[in-house]
Formats: sequence, C-alpha cells, structure tokens
Amino acid sequence: MSEDLESRLRAALRPVAPGDEFTQKLIARVAADRRSPSKAPSARGRSPKPTTWWLSASMAASLLVAAGIQHQVQERRERERGLEARREVIEALRVTSQKLELAYEAIKSQSSSPADDASGV
Amino acid sequence: MNEATQDFSDEEFARARAGEAAALASLIRAHQRSVYSLALRMLGARDLAEDLTQDVIMQLNGNLISIASNTHLVFWLRRVTTHRAIDQLRRRARVETTPLDDEASHSSTVDSGDPLLQRHLQRLLWDLSPPARAVLLLRYQEDLDPIDIAKTLDMPINTVKSHLKRSLETLRQRMPSSEPSRCEGKST
Repeated sequence: MSEDLESRLRAALRPVAPGDEFTQKLIARVAADRRSPSKAPSARGRSPKPTTWWLSASMAASLLVAAGIQHQVQERRERERGLEARREVIEALRVTSQKLELAYEAIKSQSSSPADDASGV
Repeated sequence: MNEATQDFSDEEFARARAGEAAALASLIRAHQRSVYSLALRMLGARDLAEDLTQDVIMQLNGNLISIASNTHLVFWLRRVTTHRAIDQLRRRARVETTPLDDEASHSSTVDSGDPLLQRHLQRLLWDLSPPARAVLLLRYQEDLDPIDIAKTLDMPINTVKSHLKRSLETLRQRMPSSEPSRCEGKST
C-alpha cells in the first residue's frame, strides 16, 4: 500500500517543463544580463570585500574599546559614590556621638544639682 | 533535476561558468524543468512559477562563479527555489490562490498516466503546509533522501521524517483507490 502510494506520487510529481517561449525568453534575458556592462562591477564586486571586512572589524574593535572605557569610568564613579556615602555615614555617627555626649553631660549635671541644693538649704 | 540534469556534464558546466553562451543556454534548458516544477507545485500558479523560475535563474547567473560543480549547482537550485517559494507563500499566507487544476494539463511534457489522479494528488499537495509540501516534492519529484532534504531545507532530519510520515498518512487517507476506474470516479 505504502509503496503503491509512493510510486503513484513519483508518477504524479514528474517534473514538467515550462513553455518553449518562456525558455527562449529566459535564455535571452540571461545572455543580455551577461553582456550588460552593469554586470562588470558586480563581477569585480569582490575586491572591496576585504576593505569592508577590515572596516567592520575596526569599527567593532572601536566599539569594544569604547564600551570598556565607559564601563571603567562608570565603575570608578560608583566606587567614588560609595566612598562618599561611607564618609557621610561616619560624619553622621560622629555628630550623633557628640550630641549623645552632650545630652549625657546635661543629664548628669542635672541629676547632681538637686542634691547640692538639698544639702545647701 | 533528474535525467536532464544528469545529462549536463561537469565539462559543460565549466564552460557555462566561463561564460560560453551555448553552454549557459544548455545549462538553463537542463535545470529549468526542475526549478519550474518545484515552483509550480509549491506556488500553485503558472505565472508565479515562471516568475520564480526566472528570478532563480537570474540569481544563478549572478552567482555562477561561486558554484563549484554541477552537483553543487543542483543543490543550490533546489535550495534557492524551495526557500524562495516558502518565503513567498509565507508573505501571501492568506491570499487565495488557484490550485493546480489548469497547470497540470498545461505542459505537453507531462506523462503521468491518469490526469485526473494527478489533478487530485496536486490538490491534496496544495493542502499541505509549505514546508511539508517542499519536503514531499523533494522526496518524490527530486528523489532526494531525507538527509539531503534536511540539508536543502535547513531542517532537522527528524522534522523531515515527521513531515514525510504525516503527509503520506494524510495522502493515504484522502487518496482514491489505486484502481484507475475508481480514481476517475472520485477525483473530479
């Protein structure tokens, strides 16, 4: 059954030819295309290829270098921003510590003064 | 690209590649049948098939220098024709096209026995997806094995095999019996 179907397919799908007129026109068109001078640049169009390749390669390299530099600059900026934040935190801690020290001193002096008053009266 | 292309020798190919007009003409005569048949059965209309055949041959004319041998040429033509046909079908995916009713009887070179059966087969072929149709055509029109079909269509071998299996199954279910009298009765 399968072989039968396959042989029927092969028979039905035999290549068919286009009309003779079409073939003649096609051959004439190909011949004209070969003769046309505009064909010459495309045949020689291979010579600029190495230049194009080098141009593409150098552009890609430039892009890579630029991307690398930008990455480094950004990294340095982030590091500086981190250091600045660290300095600010330390400063804030120092100020807080001073305030606490002052508050402690104030409380300490207040708690000691009523006793002095009491002993004085 | 069956008998005709095998007749085209590597020597003739070299002469065509060198630009000899007569050799180029015989190259076109030898290979256009296969290109045109693939295009016709893929696209389903004679004018579209002629346009595609012309485009492929003109593209070949521009690329002939990069083609190494007659075998390479046959591979190149099948590859370019099927890919371009599939692309074209994808572009006009939902546009109504005429199935191959008139096309099958067009060429005087068709010698496939029962014309009604052929018409019916071609209508069934038209119902397959473009890649499945290309696989079937390369298998049964061009007589390629699944490995060569996979190379031609840039398709995994298992995909080729499953397309073939499913398409044959579909055709088997919808094909009339192999007895000629019953075929004719059903296929109009």
